[in-house]
Formats: sequence, structure tokens, C-alpha cells
Amino acid sequence: MRFVSNFPYGRAPFWLLVVAVVSVILRVATAHRPEARPDLVVVTHTEAHFEAYRKAIPRFEREHGVKVQLQFTNWASLQARLQNAILAGTEVPDLAEVFEGSLGFFTRGPVADFGVLDLTDRLRRDGLDHRLVESRFSLWSARGRVYALPHDVHPVMLAYRRDIVEELGIDVSKLDTWDKFVEMGRRVTRDLNGDGVIDRYMIDLRYDGNWSLDTLMFQRGGQFFDQSGQVAFATEDTAELIRWYIEQSRGERRIGYECGWGQSVVKAMTDGLVLFQWAPDWRTWVFSDEAPSLAGKMALMPLPAWAPGGRRTSIWGGTGLMIMKQTRHPDLAWELAKYLYFDTPELGKRFLATNILPVLKDAWTLPELNTPFPYYSNQRIGQMYASLAPETPPVYSSPVDAAARIALDQAYNRAAEYYTHHGEAGLMETIRAELAAAAEDVRRRARREKVLEQVVP
Amino acid sequence: MTTTKTAGRPRSWVGRPRYKGKAPYLFLSPYVVLTAAFFAVPFVNAIMLAFYETNGPRSRAFVGLANFRFLLTDSTFQRALINTTLFALVSVFVQLPLSMGLALLLNSGSNRIKGFFRLVFFSPNLVGQVLVGILFSVLFTPRYGLVNWGFFAFLNWGLEARWVSDPQLIMPAIILASLWLWVGFNMVYFLAALQTVDKSLQEAARIDGANPWQVFWHVTLPSMRHVVIFVVIMSVIGSYQLFELPLTLLSESYGFGANNAGVTLITYLNYMAFRSGDLGLGSAVGWVVAVIIFTISLIQIRLGRIAEED
Repeated sequence: MRFVSNFPYGRAPFWLLVVAVVSVILRVATAHRPEARPDLVVVTHTEAHFEAYRKAIPRFEREHGVKVQLQFTNWASLQARLQNAILAGTEVPDLAEVFEGSLGFFTRGPVADFGVLDLTDRLRRDGLDHRLVESRFSLWSARGRVYALPHDVHPVMLAYRRDIVEELGIDVSKLDTWDKFVEMGRRVTRDLNGDGVIDRYMIDLRYDGNWSLDTLMFQRGGQFFDQSGQVAFATEDTAELIRWYIEQSRGERRIGYECGWGQSVVKAMTDGLVLFQWAPDWRTWVFSDEAPSLAGKMALMPLPAWAPGGRRTSIWGGTGLMIMKQTRHPDLAWELAKYLYFDTPELGKRFLATNILPVLKDAWTLPELNTPFPYYSNQRIGQMYASLAPETPPVYSSPVDAAARIALDQAYNRAAEYYTHHGEAGLMETIRAELAAAAEDVRRRARREKVLEQVVP
Repeated sequence: MTTTKTAGRPRSWVGRPRYKGKAPYLFLSPYVVLTAAFFAVPFVNAIMLAFYETNGPRSRAFVGLANFRFLLTDSTFQRALINTTLFALVSVFVQLPLSMGLALLLNSGSNRIKGFFRLVFFSPNLVGQVLVGILFSVLFTPRYGLVNWGFFAFLNWGLEARWVSDPQLIMPAIILASLWLWVGFNMVYFLAALQTVDKSLQEAARIDGANPWQVFWHVTLPSMRHVVIFVVIMSVIGSYQLFELPLTLLSESYGFGANNAGVTLITYLNYMAFRSGDLGLGSAVGWVVAVIIFTISLIQIRLGRIAEED
């Protein structure tokens, strides 16, 4: 202890030094040599995809004599981490699945900056451009080139409480236009026990617009951006839609009620509070998973059209598979991407596990897609979605995609607020003005993007 | 001629003795190097960034003051500034008086009760803003949420209130959640300060005929003014940095909420810098926030000094 006492700067620095030295020795002694990076790393954000790929990948590894690592990450953190890793130039996976609306971020600035591979020529070379649902390429294209493989189509139908709807004497085959649907909705939306609170609504409608407004806009052929990337949502047709939506979701004559997400949707459906729900293919699995007590009581119908004979579906959501520019094995990554997305026997099994219609048209004839689903009153939902898939509208991507969605919501909410205070008088003029302001706001942001596109990296 | 104990040693320009040995500088060097690497360089870089439009750290274009001009005319930024300022005002004029009230109540109770309630009121703060955001998004569920049921039971209103999708209710929802989160936290500061107030002064005031309010206003509050000033400054700074709570509560809209009713300066910064990849604009927002906080803090400190002199 005399040594400690005689340490030049006192006891405390001595012990600090001891702690530092011991920590370094422990760290070095317990350090593991990092495992060698496998030939390919794939990341997904969906549990169902992870399970499907986990089963499928060993065959690919055997056939190609390679090692593939599959990772599962929450979608929000996947996107944020991937974006930041690309921007910072740190290590990224070879392939990554991302949600719709995120491509714009990966395709900002000069083309040389894009962190993802251009897949256009590979798609053409392998003839996939004609074998997939054409409208889905729009979601994954930027400046005329395709940067991700579409995984799905996600046509939208309506899921409804068949038992209650039949009890009420509603023939859904006659609800083929939104006018008829609203008319019926006004009849069934009721305060059933006289306490002043409505106990039964026709349809789940977001109070703030959001995805249900977007889905309806796509159904009418509306777009946030046109094919050339110009802002396209400030149209008379969108103004009409907003007026219609306000009427159905606010005021005395409303037929819509916002159910929210998760358990509150399940409760609303189980209680019969809302009869009709938006049902893209992926959500049909969510319903059956979260509300098993409704098995056999649910059924699906195509969306009512905006005009007789019009489009009976829309789209909601989408996943795409990007190949990172940093990959050391682009050809192998492309082979894996095709194997995961377009290996026909696998797609049949995957449909039964997820209810998601494959984007590959050849797969629609698989027996699995013709299977009756007991949850949906034995309807052959695979065939129902497949018959609607060719009608799905394209949705074009932009670096300011998120800004456009926020701007449209803002225009809608301001117009709805106007309606709450002033009613119908002057509503259309307000909607037009708000839409014009929202579009200008998005154009202003897009102009900033143009400055970047001209930068020489 | 005057002499000091350090006479004979070289003196630095601040008048303190300067050591000739290398040891102090050696010991200081890790801190200096780390500070330079993780504070000074990013600090200077952040200043530079505000004058560029960027695509992450890859490509950048010099745009001069364009980022600041964009902010001045951007309605979303203006809304963020209004929302954040409103939240800061509520923090100072609603949250802190509530904290003080709770502290006064607890200060008059027995030590056992005091300890129990201190834990109860402080505990929301232990779980963090993210969990509180998730928790309140459930409590705010229209028709089924506990908050909606509570309002309906007592006020016959609010069963279908859309706290997180009605633009009129989004800010009140954030404020309600933040009150639950922060009132107890600030109460602990006030409670600690109350326990240092000289009881004999309060007793003397009471004997002189002062009522409870006069005792509080003229004796208790001035005695704890340093803590009050500290808490007010920290609350304002915290309010201008509000981020996780709206982001979690309004996660579907990047923390903005319908009609941007819940956007704050930092959620706007986060969206611009990390969602859009425009680090330059994000940096410009950061500087605006820094200037606001610095200015308000200076004003508060000055007002505190004036009050002290009075």
C-alpha cells in the first residue's frame, strides 16, 4: 500500500488508472472475432415475410453454394437506419424490403448519389416487366427507372359484418356505386338505444382524412404526382372528393366513424359499431388474426365505383425489395430477389400464410389462390383480389412524397374545419383555395430538390 | 509592494498560477480531444451546414441564406413555432403552478405520506416520453379510451373525442400527457426547495397577521426564488425541445398531426433532417431553436436578477 500512497498524483488517480487498465485487458480478452460477412444479407420488416424467407432461403443457399443471412427489423427503424447508413456510407445489407413512399428518400439528389441499384434493364432482360402487374412499377420508379422489385399489388376491397348486414336486409351486390352505398349508410347509421350517441355506423372513415382519403383519391384516378413528377393532386376532382368525404365523416348526416388501429378496430367490428372496413389483401389477414371470434361472420365485396361501371378497387400500401449499390454480388442479389418474389410454388404457400396477392400474374392460377376462406364466409378471396388487380391504379413516387401527403391532409382538415363552422356555403371555394395552397407548398419543396439534382457529386 | 502565496510562479492571463509540469495538461488532454472531436468540430460543421442544401453528407449545394428564408415563409415552420411557444407558455403558467401546488400540499403532510406521494407523482417520469406517448394513445381512444370515458362521465362530453386526429384537440392532448409526465418531476424540485425555507420567517409572518397566501407570496416564494428561476428556465428549454411525446402520440403523421396541429420545432427539424435528408435545413432549424432558447433564457435570468434586487 506504500506504493499506492507514494503514487505521484495521489490514491484516486492510481485507482482510476487501475480501473482503466483492467477494463482494457477485459475488453481485449473477451473480444470476439467478428463473423465473416455472408455472401448476401437480406433485411425485412414483416414477420410473415421473415418466416416465409427463413424457410425458402436454405434451398437457394444449396442451389447456389452461398451463405445468406436473413435479418428482421421493425420497419420504422429499418428505414431510418438504412437511410442513415446509405447517407453516411457505412455498411448496409445487400437487399432490403421497404414500404411504399420511401423510395423518394433513396432517390434524392444526383443519380450518382442513389444508394440503390437501377433494376430496369434486369427486369426487361428477364421479361419480368410484362409478367408483373404493370401499375406497381410506378411506386418503385424514379426519373423513369425502376429501383425496387414490387412485392405485392394490395388491391382494396371492403370487409363487412356479413351476419349483421344480412340481418339488416342489405344486398351488397346492389351497392355498386358510392351513391348507393351512402344512401344505404344513411339508413343504417343509427342511435339504437336513444341515448344520443350513434351506435352503428356504415363505414370506418379516418376523421383526419389520411389513408382513407388517399385510397379514395387513387380509386378516382387521382395522384399526388404525375408520371413526370409534377404535383397533380390539386384538381377539381380531388376538391369534389374532399367535399364528399367531409359530408360522410362530419356533421349530422355522416355515415363514417374512425375506428383507429389495433384493438379499437377489433372492438368496433365485434360490437357491430362499424359495418364496413377497408380491406386491402394484407388487412384481411390482420382481421382474421386479431378478431378470430368473427370467423364466418365476415365477407368481402369490391369497393363501390364512383360511377356505374367504374373502377371497383384502389390500392393501399406496398412493399418493395431494393438491392443496395454497395453489394459485392449484384447478380447473386438479383437472383435471390427473383427467387424470393417470383418462385411460383413458394408464392402459393405464402398467399395462404399472409393473404397477400402476388404481383406475379402467373401465380394467380395456383390452387392456393382458389381456396375458400372460412373466415370470410368461404369466399375465394385470392380470386376476388386477382380479378381486381389489373384495375389497380398506378401511384407515382417523388422525393417530396411525404410532404405531399401531409399537404393534402392539411388542405382537407382546413376545409373540414371550415365546414364545421360555416357549413356548405362557400365550402367548394375553400377547398379549391386550400388545395391550391397545398400544391404550391409541395412545389416549393420540390424546387429545393431540383437544386440538389444538379449538383455534381 | 504586495505578495501572494503563489509569488514566484508564472501566472496565466486570468491571474491564476500556471503550472510548468506537463501532468495537468496530460490529464486534461482526453477531455480536450474528445470535446474537440465530438463538440467543437460538429458545432462548426452545423454552422456551415445551415448554409447548404444537402442530401445527407453526400452532396451539398451552397444556398447562402436560402434555408433561413425558406423557414421564414414556411407555414409548417411557423405553425411549429406557434405550437412550441404555446406549449412553453402552458408549461410555465399551468404545469409549474400545479407542481408548486402539489409540493405545498405534500410539504404540509407527514414524512411517510410525503415520501409515498413523491414517488407516485414522480413515477410517470421514470417511464419516459415514448412510453407515455404510447400509453396515452390508448387512453385517448375514441369511445373506448379511459380519458374519453372520464370526460364523458363527468362532463357528458368527449366519448367520441378524437384527441389525436382532431386538429382542435391535438395540442390539448399533448399538454394533458405532458402534465401527467412533468408535474411530478418539477414538484420534486419545489418540494426540496420548500424544505430549505426558514420556518422562523414564515412563523414570524404569521404572527404579524399574514394570511397563508401572503406568507407564500412574500416569504416562501422569495426564499426559493433560485430554484423557481432554475425550474422555469429548464421548463422553457425542455418545452422548446419537445419531441418524443408528439412523435409517439402522432406517429402516423411523423409527429405533425392533422393540419400540423401537433408539429413542434424539433419534430419539424427531425422530419426535415432525417426523413427528408435535408440536413442543411434541419441545421438551420436547430440554430433558430438555439437562438430562441438562448434569448428567452437570458431574459429570464435578467428578470430573476431584477426581482432579486427588488
